[in-house]
Amino acid sequence: MRLIIDRLSKAYGFLWALRDLSVALESGDLVALLGPNGAGKTTLLKILAGLIAPTTGSICFDGNPQKTSVPRARTGLLMPADHLYDNLTIRENLRFFLSLYRQSSDSHIIDSALKDVALFERSAEFVGNLSSGMRCRLSIAKWRLLQPDLLLLDEPYGVLDGSGIDLLEEFLQQQIQNGGIVVIASHHVSRALKLCSRALILKKGRLTFNEAKQQPWPSFDHAFGEFLPHGERWIS
Amino acid sequence: MDLLNQTLLLLWKDLLLELRRRESLLTMFFFGTLLLFVFHFSFDFAPDKVAEMAPALLWLAFLFTGTLGLTQLFQVERENHCLDALLLSPLDRGALFLAKTFFNLLLMLLVELVVMPLFWILFNLQGWNLLPQLFLVTLLGTVGFCVLGTMMSAVTLRARARELLLPLVLFPLMIPVILATIRCMETIMRAGDLGDAWSWLRLLLGFDVIFVTVGILIFDRVIED
Repeated sequence: MRLIIDRLSKAYGFLWALRDLSVALESGDLVALLGPNGAGKTTLLKILAGLIAPTTGSICFDGNPQKTSVPRARTGLLMPADHLYDNLTIRENLRFFLSLYRQSSDSHIIDSALKDVALFERSAEFVGNLSSGMRCRLSIAKWRLLQPDLLLLDEPYGVLDGSGIDLLEEFLQQQIQNGGIVVIASHHVSRALKLCSRALILKKGRLTFNEAKQQPWPSFDHAFGEFLPHGERWIS
Repeated sequence: MDLLNQTLLLLWKDLLLELRRRESLLTMFFFGTLLLFVFHFSFDFAPDKVAEMAPALLWLAFLFTGTLGLTQLFQVERENHCLDALLLSPLDRGALFLAKTFFNLLLMLLVELVVMPLFWILFNLQGWNLLPQLFLVTLLGTVGFCVLGTMMSAVTLRARARELLLPLVLFPLMIPVILATIRCMETIMRAGDLGDAWSWLRLLLGFDVIFVTVGILIFDRVIED
């Protein structure tokens, strides 16, 4: 499985959110997408998910252009508190999305997924009553059931507690072992770096760093150092 | 078959959410009834003007009430960016169009079922036996309104002042449907049967078939970025 991003650019009016971005990702890659606010991380994730169209350039997922139905069924986007219906219960949300992806929505499958994320006891509650962390757990359960080949995550760490983070990281490792590709956009650099096999750094829409992980990693330390608050140093 | 299954799934979800929120139907129902009372206090029909005035007033109420419903049509998808979750999935965009159209149609028909007899009572109109035929014509007109309304709701979905923009875009395009429906109803009320109204009825049917087909085919381009 290969994801090829070729000379991708996205403009919002006169502002270039992404410029000339080219990356090739392979099956089993877990990519940390880093960069300061406004660097274009979320825009890149949304283009990869097929939610917005690039201004120029192309994305090819396993030989298929991204905005077709094959990559759609195989792409997941985990936004911590989004993409869930407030007035449906936890169970109804899962059942709805499983049916939407033409997957079995048997009760025992849903029960087991909810037990894994410690939401089984609350399965009849409306999602609108859940905290952001609980919603994120539900999103994890959702994507665990849907098993996308390409999983994109936008700031997943901010709302999760310790056990939630363990749950998420276990899920991401599983995805990689199953041959998927994972891209995490995050400001929690140490967590993202601990998991990743490759790091990308975006700055003002341009890709300024793209390397496979090394230990130690002086080139990353140098590239990332400039984004740290004044007086702090980063050592990977 | 897949299109039908997906449409039913989305429709189930929308009906369940409406049942729990009770926002659109109640608002539409009260607004429609309120308009009838305003018309009742403002107009006094001469018996020979009933056939001309009644369909126009009735459709004015339906148009305003329906537009109110249309502004809320994609509200549940806007919350928590659920529309993105739908567009991310392998869902046929035609199914989304059909589900939203059916949902809106269902709400409007429920409102019309109450508003039409109430209109007859308030204006003390004769010819209760004509109501089934009038309701059939109204059904065809309402289908046209919902089909075009769903398309235009999707077009204005990302606009900043979408509630203001929607009627401005929708009403001019609705002229053939409004005209055909009112003329049909007028003929029925004058003649007591469909009689000369067949040409208008064919126009309504044609409009409905064409715009349902066009909607299914182009909705992906309308709803996506």
